[in-house]
Amino acid sequence: MRIAFAGNPNSGKTTMYNALTGRSEKVGNWGGVTVGSKEYTIKKEIVGRDDVIAVDLPGAYSMSPFTPEEGITSEYVRTANPDAIVNIVDATNLSRSLFFTSQLLELGIPVVVALNKSDINEKEGTKIDTAKLSEKLGCPVFDTVSIEEKGLADVIKTAISLAGTTQKAPYMQADINLHDKVAVDKEDRKRYEFVNSLVAGVETRKQLSAEKTGADSVDNILTNPIAGIIVFALVMWGVFWVSQAWLGPLVADWLVGWIETFQEWVAGQLENSPAILSALLADGIVGGVGAVVGFLPLVMVMYFLIALLEDCGYMARVSAVMDPIFKRVGLSGKSVIPVVIGTGCGIPAIMSCRTIRDERERRATTMLTTFIPCGAKIPIIALFAGAFFSGAGWVSTLSYFLGLALIFLGALLIKAITGYKYRKSFFIMELPKWKAPSLKFAFKSMMERAKAYIIKAATIILVCNTVVQVMQTFNWHFQVVEEGAEDTSILASIATPFAFLLIPLGFGVWQLAAAAITGFIAKENVVGTLAVVFALTSFIDTEELAMTGGANTVAATMGLTSVTALAYLFFNLYTPPCFAAIGAMNSEMKSRGWLWGAIGLQLGTGYTIAFLVNQFGTLFTEGHFAAGFVPGLIAEAVMVVVLILIARKVRAHFDEQYELHRKTAENGAAA
Amino acid sequence: MELTMRSVFKADQNESAVAGKEQSDLGITLLEAEPGKTYIIKEINTADDEMNSFLFRLGCYPGEPITLISKKKKSCIVVIKDGRYNLDKLLSEAIVL
Repeated sequence: MRIAFAGNPNSGKTTMYNALTGRSEKVGNWGGVTVGSKEYTIKKEIVGRDDVIAVDLPGAYSMSPFTPEEGITSEYVRTANPDAIVNIVDATNLSRSLFFTSQLLELGIPVVVALNKSDINEKEGTKIDTAKLSEKLGCPVFDTVSIEEKGLADVIKTAISLAGTTQKAPYMQADINLHDKVAVDKEDRKRYEFVNSLVAGVETRKQLSAEKTGADSVDNILTNPIAGIIVFALVMWGVFWVSQAWLGPLVADWLVGWIETFQEWVAGQLENSPAILSALLADGIVGGVGAVVGFLPLVMVMYFLIALLEDCGYMARVSAVMDPIFKRVGLSGKSVIPVVIGTGCGIPAIMSCRTIRDERERRATTMLTTFIPCGAKIPIIALFAGAFFSGAGWVSTLSYFLGLALIFLGALLIKAITGYKYRKSFFIMELPKWKAPSLKFAFKSMMERAKAYIIKAATIILVCNTVVQVMQTFNWHFQVVEEGAEDTSILASIATPFAFLLIPLGFGVWQLAAAAITGFIAKENVVGTLAVVFALTSFIDTEELAMTGGANTVAATMGLTSVTALAYLFFNLYTPPCFAAIGAMNSEMKSRGWLWGAIGLQLGTGYTIAFLVNQFGTLFTEGHFAAGFVPGLIAEAVMVVVLILIARKVRAHFDEQYELHRKTAENGAAA
Repeated sequence: MELTMRSVFKADQNESAVAGKEQSDLGITLLEAEPGKTYIIKEINTADDEMNSFLFRLGCYPGEPITLISKKKKSCIVVIKDGRYNLDKLLSEAIVL
């Protein structure tokens, strides 16, 4: 049996779904967090049987879709024939929500209305006559508070008991020609009149929505184009500082001690076994994976803080204040949502681009959003900040803000290449009521991500590290590589050609090239591979402040200066994301050209940034350009030529397309 | 042409500041309205059918009340039904009161 959860955005559908199924799908106090349908069995202890499946759908304001994710919802309830629909209604905005309810009631599928957020209504003195509403709608209505799991069991049990019955609609759309715009408008208006009269009969408000409150003054500051952006920058800086310079490293330090103890124990156990086995297990697997897991606390603290931010309602304000800036570079204010989600993981960030209505803006955002370092890149940032910059907090803050700057620059570039013609791009964002973030949810979401991180470390990262270790240990004749002849290993011979290309960037050695390449499988691999290839098993030293203890050894072994280290860090941060994220880009963009454009742009950006940092950094610190300046310059020139050629090709097509669009529009009007 | 229209709007704004909900026939846009006041929507000119119908679902259509909470140079915050929304300049100017 399938029960669909439908309702307006930010009405609490996913929270209810999570409470009933025990899942922890992403929630947030702003519309558009759920972008695809998800389903899972409802807990047996709630419904007494184990064949009831809950389907969580993206928020929708009505049955006629406006954004792509709204389309998923109307499509599902229309065609998938769920056994019952639970319509989650934001009780604080009854008059808007019931429009969609009245449409759902027409489908004939039994509907149960959950008047969610009824606790807020209680606080504000708004009363809704549930019995009367139920009678008028012709379906059961319950007061619920999904964050406290109040009333949920009643809703779901009633929905199950109604399955198989036919819903009677209180309001039926008149038999009109659905292609006749005027008639449809008139009909919709009548529906709204019905809803309005319904609400007037059941709701009494103490506090009028239109009254100005203290929260409005806060919003006024947060959406101010200057103050709002300063606040946003400070908030994000705080998040990075706490997670990557203060609390995160503090916990990491303690964890790394345990990992080292474990590694020594493993080495001790293997004392009498062949040296190769000991190297493979203790140094390769435990060392490599341990290096990645050691950074887990930084990632966890970050996820926790971001979850708090998403839960309180701040994201909608950020989106509103960023809109004018994003719009200027050819994106939309909604592009800020993928960017913030992207600090966690690029894949959900890319998927959340679906809430952007305009196709070009959507694709451009998909293309650029991974410039924001994701959780998997935190270990790389932390490692380099620790080893080369004595754990300085500015390294991580700079990494994120440079990522943001690259998004802007990239957007301008895309705008220039696609020959962006000015089109009206409206922006409207609901500002949800502020709420105190739930520590429980933030903790849960943090643990969920931590679990995923550990699983990844124990699977993909483990396998990669083992492969890297083996490829490094043997040469092409499957003989163990002699000490001092490391360059003859399989790994060295594969990575050397790539390393050649990296000379202008200041890190043209095969070890670093190999690490960067394994990063495409999963970004955490960069750290793991570095640990393996440089045999830096105690890379994150046990001494105080995480990595600073062994920093000099690490720095010396890698043979990087602080300039080239920064170049290498940026190269890893801004080149294409992992394959999984590229896969997500492919399915969201639905266009080969855009996908290859995205990969090319990201490769070019990573290369260019590293090139500039290395060459100008060296010029600044040593008074001359670094090695490979001229070849690098030639590579850059080639990139510029390619860009110009693409732009010319795209623009030529663009004019044709534009012409075609206009013609069809005229034809449409004539018909 | 546009200039003259603007000046008419300006004059109208002063008038409506006194008259409150009653406006003259020409109407003003949201960005010219006075914060804290509730107006009746007269017209929506987005020239975009989908956008119009989206606004409609939110309860933003001619004949319905809208309250301006605050405004800035390029955006404003309004109350439509019981929800608060941030609108950009383009949309604020498309809503005539």
